[in-house]
Amino acid sequence: MAAVAQTSRFGNIFWPTLAWIIALIFFFPIFWMVFTSFKTDADAVKPEFLFVFKPTLENYLNMTENYDYWRFATNSAITATFATLFALVVGVPCAYAMAFNPSRHTKDILVWMLSTKMLPAAAVLYPMTFLTKNFLQIYDTHFLIILVLCLINLPIVIWMLFTYFKEIPKEIIEAGKMDGVNTWGEIKDILIPLAWGGVASTALLTFIFCWNEAYWTVRLTTTEAATLSKLIEGNRAPEGLFFGRLSAVSTAAVGPIVVLGWFCQKQLVRGLTFGAVK
Amino acid sequence: MSDRRLPRLLQTPAVILLLMWMLVPLGMTLFFSFIRYVLNSLRRPEWTSPSIDNWRGFGNYEYVLNAKDFWFAVQNSLFIVGSILFVTVVLGLALAVLVNRTFPGRGIVRVLLISPFFVMPAVNAVLWINMILDPVLGLNGLAVEGINSLVKGLQDFPVLGAFFSLWPEFQPVSFRATQTSAYAVIMMVAWQWTPFAVLIFMTSLQSEDEQQKEAAILDGASAWSRFRNLTLPHLGRPIAIVVMIQSIFHLSLYAEIEIVSRGNGNKNLPYLIGEFTSNNIGAASATGIFAVILANIVAIFLLRMVGKNMMD
Repeated sequence: MAAVAQTSRFGNIFWPTLAWIIALIFFFPIFWMVFTSFKTDADAVKPEFLFVFKPTLENYLNMTENYDYWRFATNSAITATFATLFALVVGVPCAYAMAFNPSRHTKDILVWMLSTKMLPAAAVLYPMTFLTKNFLQIYDTHFLIILVLCLINLPIVIWMLFTYFKEIPKEIIEAGKMDGVNTWGEIKDILIPLAWGGVASTALLTFIFCWNEAYWTVRLTTTEAATLSKLIEGNRAPEGLFFGRLSAVSTAAVGPIVVLGWFCQKQLVRGLTFGAVK
Repeated sequence: MSDRRLPRLLQTPAVILLLMWMLVPLGMTLFFSFIRYVLNSLRRPEWTSPSIDNWRGFGNYEYVLNAKDFWFAVQNSLFIVGSILFVTVVLGLALAVLVNRTFPGRGIVRVLLISPFFVMPAVNAVLWINMILDPVLGLNGLAVEGINSLVKGLQDFPVLGAFFSLWPEFQPVSFRATQTSAYAVIMMVAWQWTPFAVLIFMTSLQSEDEQQKEAAILDGASAWSRFRNLTLPHLGRPIAIVVMIQSIFHLSLYAEIEIVSRGNGNKNLPYLIGEFTSNNIGAASATGIFAVILANIVAIFLLRMVGKNMMD
């Protein structure tokens, strides 16, 4: 027993320290980006100012001038918000019906819905360009990006909502039915208040996925509906002279989302593993 | 309204939307993959519009299969996905076990560890390739320069100097060449997705049987044998899930390749499709069908596992 106690005393210091060191290494690139965003472009590439420098807010103040940041950020916010909303409007009734009135096809439909998520986007790149540019003429519009973001996230939305709704006892819904509440009332007055936490975290996670999406938002836009992904992607070249301003705009693009992400760690597991890991 | 029709009605919009989203573009890709279809052709202008008259059968597939680029892209896709999987699963397991004990500041450690997952892929790639991996201005270049000047300084010492003067001058690795840029992509994506693996393994570790573990400690089982015989089998399923979900995501990796590797020859299937799409739509579509087949091989296993688990 003594041996066990001794190893664990050593372990009690060693392993947590190791965990802290690794966590700091993992966080370092993000820290470095935020750190560099307070340097001027000139200072950012000088080794003598690597750690000690005169901090400046200039990069943030000039974000509009340098990158037209707010236009892209507004596009990101608009498309992500409405895509999330539409996905919920379509997803909530669907998940409700599946959770409380399952038929023998429900399971197959759910699995099929997930399978649409697994189609590689690149395989349908040209048809999407062709359809939206030549045929429907909605290329590079907010509407198109909202629609696509909504569609690619719909399976995850329905899936997550389904797992939350299933945890609600069926009797509560049935009691409502007895009292003569109609379907809309059931959803609005019984289901949503009971599953509020689940709906909120589904919305949050969907919003994050929409915000970070980097295939369709880049390939289906030029200027009008271009999002932050497109803005950053346009600065891929070795921009050594602009490390300061590039860091500032990157920080502004990911900062809010990383903070939002901290609040939905738990839901992330549910949303990304489709309930297969509990 | 009857009890059966209403639930069906509520599902209809979602089903129709997803059905259209799946069938229409994929159907077009399938059609384009069987015809001659290019965007610009002075010699054969009739090929520039999609028409059944330009039927080519399996010609596009043959063309793609004989293209050197295609096999390189397939190989490279698998290499990139495989490497990322290896790194994230091994690192993820180690970190999950590490963070699964209670210690001061555990909450903060978890927050720090999970953060990379929420960084948008475009920022991830631009940040890594420029500020960290750039051979001159990035930390990569600065670190190598620092080592070189340190070695140079040590050469002036009386006895040790003789030893250090034997050291070569180090050259920073450039991550913009064909092969090295694949390593850069692996590095940055592994950085982003290790948190995902950690999160899932951690969730799963919390449901591990503590009593069984304590019994094993009393029986004198070493930490390694406890991990090997109890924890690892318990994590078998989450590992499979992490592998499959990541495979599906990383087979369609695009932003990172586009930002890091544009024009330097490093490509995966989605990038190759993008290249073909600039003119040869027939070939792009045939490549797309191959990409769908590749993704489906993984997806079938995943869906089976998810489906089995769903109703309990």
